[in-house]
Amino acid sequence: MLRPDKGMPAASPRPGGVLEHWTERHLRYLMLAPTMIVLLALTIFPSFYMFYAAVHRISPNPDLPWEFVGSGNFARLLTDAQFHVALRNTAVFTIVAVTFEFLLGLGLALLLDRFIRRLTFLKTVLMIPMMLPPIAVAITWKIIYEPQFGVLNEIMFRLGLPLQAWAGDVNLAMFSIIVADVWQWTPFIFLLMLAGLASLPIEPYEAAALDGASSWRQFWDLTLPFLKPVIAIAVLLRVMDALRLFDLVFILTGGGPADRTKVLSLYIYQVAYRFADPGYAAAISLFVLFVTIVLSTWFMKRMRLAE
Amino acid sequence: MVRKLFLVLAAAASALAINGVAWADFTILVPSSSEGDGLRAAAADYSKMKGTKVEIVQAPYANVFEQGANAGATKSGVFDIILMDDPWIPFFAENGHLEDLTPFFKQAGLEGPDTDFLSKSLAICRNPYNTGPYVCLPYVGNAQMFFYDAAKYKEAGVDAPKTWDDVLKASQALTKEGGGRYFGYVFRGGQGNPVVADFMPIFWSYGANMFNEDRTKVTIDTPEGAAAMKTFMALRDVSPKGIESYNANEVGTALAAGTAASSINWPNWVATFEDPSQSKMVGKISYSPIPAGTKPGSSEIGHWTMGIMSASKNKQEAFDFMIWATSPEQIKISAERGNPPVRTSVFTDPELTKQEKFRHYPVLMEAIQASTPRPRHPKWPEIENAFGIELSKAVAGTITPEEALKNSQIAVEEITGLK
Repeated sequence: MLRPDKGMPAASPRPGGVLEHWTERHLRYLMLAPTMIVLLALTIFPSFYMFYAAVHRISPNPDLPWEFVGSGNFARLLTDAQFHVALRNTAVFTIVAVTFEFLLGLGLALLLDRFIRRLTFLKTVLMIPMMLPPIAVAITWKIIYEPQFGVLNEIMFRLGLPLQAWAGDVNLAMFSIIVADVWQWTPFIFLLMLAGLASLPIEPYEAAALDGASSWRQFWDLTLPFLKPVIAIAVLLRVMDALRLFDLVFILTGGGPADRTKVLSLYIYQVAYRFADPGYAAAISLFVLFVTIVLSTWFMKRMRLAE
Repeated sequence: MVRKLFLVLAAAASALAINGVAWADFTILVPSSSEGDGLRAAAADYSKMKGTKVEIVQAPYANVFEQGANAGATKSGVFDIILMDDPWIPFFAENGHLEDLTPFFKQAGLEGPDTDFLSKSLAICRNPYNTGPYVCLPYVGNAQMFFYDAAKYKEAGVDAPKTWDDVLKASQALTKEGGGRYFGYVFRGGQGNPVVADFMPIFWSYGANMFNEDRTKVTIDTPEGAAAMKTFMALRDVSPKGIESYNANEVGTALAAGTAASSINWPNWVATFEDPSQSKMVGKISYSPIPAGTKPGSSEIGHWTMGIMSASKNKQEAFDFMIWATSPEQIKISAERGNPPVRTSVFTDPELTKQEKFRHYPVLMEAIQASTPRPRHPKWPEIENAFGIELSKAVAGTITPEEALKNSQIAVEEITGLK
């Protein structure tokens, strides 16, 4: 359309011209609208609703009104012993599982990248656990750990070693869950590290080799710093996922024995659905969200990714 | 033209999505277990007979409670009937999720359910227990029984266990001989519902109870409770390693595989024990009522009951189905499909009792009539969780039995507000 202010003759208005003009001016908003509506419906509205629920006591009886309790649900977090147990267990699980997954994933990636680069079949096999549905993984490990008929105890028996209760033993239950999680998620770290290693420049290594730097020195001074952004993303994603652990615990131990494997997600589920107290469950969920955001921000800053 | 067709299709899809399951005349929520399978088969028969469209929604045990509670809290009306485990009844009834059946009985010219139902089966369907109006009808007559390998018990010097002392005597001998591969007893030690379900009959058989008679006091930490706990810990010591995570499946499998001699369990396991494709112990397992402690033994009742959701839009259709499904003829068919009955006439039906697979019926009927319901409280899921944590700790040995009783007393007092 020609514009009069540019000294050109104005076109005669056509029917529907105003609408067309308006559409043209607001086209970007119109194009964004479906995404925004979906975002509002699926993310922003539920988030605000969760905040709203967290400051109310919600009765399972639909005829009773929601009672405003302000920070009451958050104050309960300070005195709720079961919440403290779940928080401690979640922290232990996250730290130990992610540390092992990182070390094993990085180690495997270095091994395969350096020595057996061409074995794509092996790489595919190593990634299988990650592709399995979490419930299938949990059930598989339940069968492996079964004290009477499980594969693991059968091996122990044949080796003449004492049989263990694994998921049923207070001292081994968390360890059993960590092993299953490490088995499933080490391939994720491995995959990211392998991609990171494949993108490293060759020149610094050639220069270092000329200067007589050992393999260890090259790893420490070149590989690790180069991989830092990839490591940060991999560990961050795993930490966020570990904080939400549910499937393995639900199937393998149900939070027991003796509360040793009760994690926050399981406790939130129990509070919301078994004890019918969604207001308090929303408060715990917000706490987990807060912890995740704080941890992520701190971690990103530490890894100098924020800028 | 294409645009119009697209719009019509979109409108049709939206209408379908909004109406959801409205194509059915009524919808029933059931567990994905033998109880749910039985009701699903009955619903299919009803559909054929009446031309009524019945939709069955099946979900795992815990999800049935969650979905029912959600539907009740949101008044969604998505389910017309819910097949409930009996300890859920106070929660559903007292939060207004269940319909009072009295007006429906009146309209049908009935005073209530007929007297062929076992009295204990009917008592749990009234809220408050045995005194209030009917809020459901019993469908599956579960009550715990004591399962044992009679030959092994005989080897251990006990002909028929009548008391927990008999059970301990035989179990200690059998576990000692078993060398870590065979055990005299096995129980559900998994935290929460499993360990509580297997402890309660022992608790009751020593005269203990969770509350006093008028429900004004929590009475877990008592001398009777301590006596029950002492027996429970002795049974733990003769059970397999790992029972801290055992549920019904592990216990049933241990008996069917012949690696344990006795346990408390639910009657639906009888079919498994008598099935040669699943059991090494066909014909070898005996059934008895729960052994006595210092008082007569009492089973935990675990009936599956049908109730109408308050938000249902098809209440009359739902009631008509419930009356049909719980009729003597249908309960007999349900029994033949593997679900224990709730009617005297079916328990004593010679056509059934002459069959080997129903040889446990006299014991089961006795067990139901001597059963005790789990404490009827709308906060039972929370109480059970708290009690289950402490029992699990005691079984795992991280606290003493005395501490478990003391902690449970405090936890249940806090939950119920009874101090």
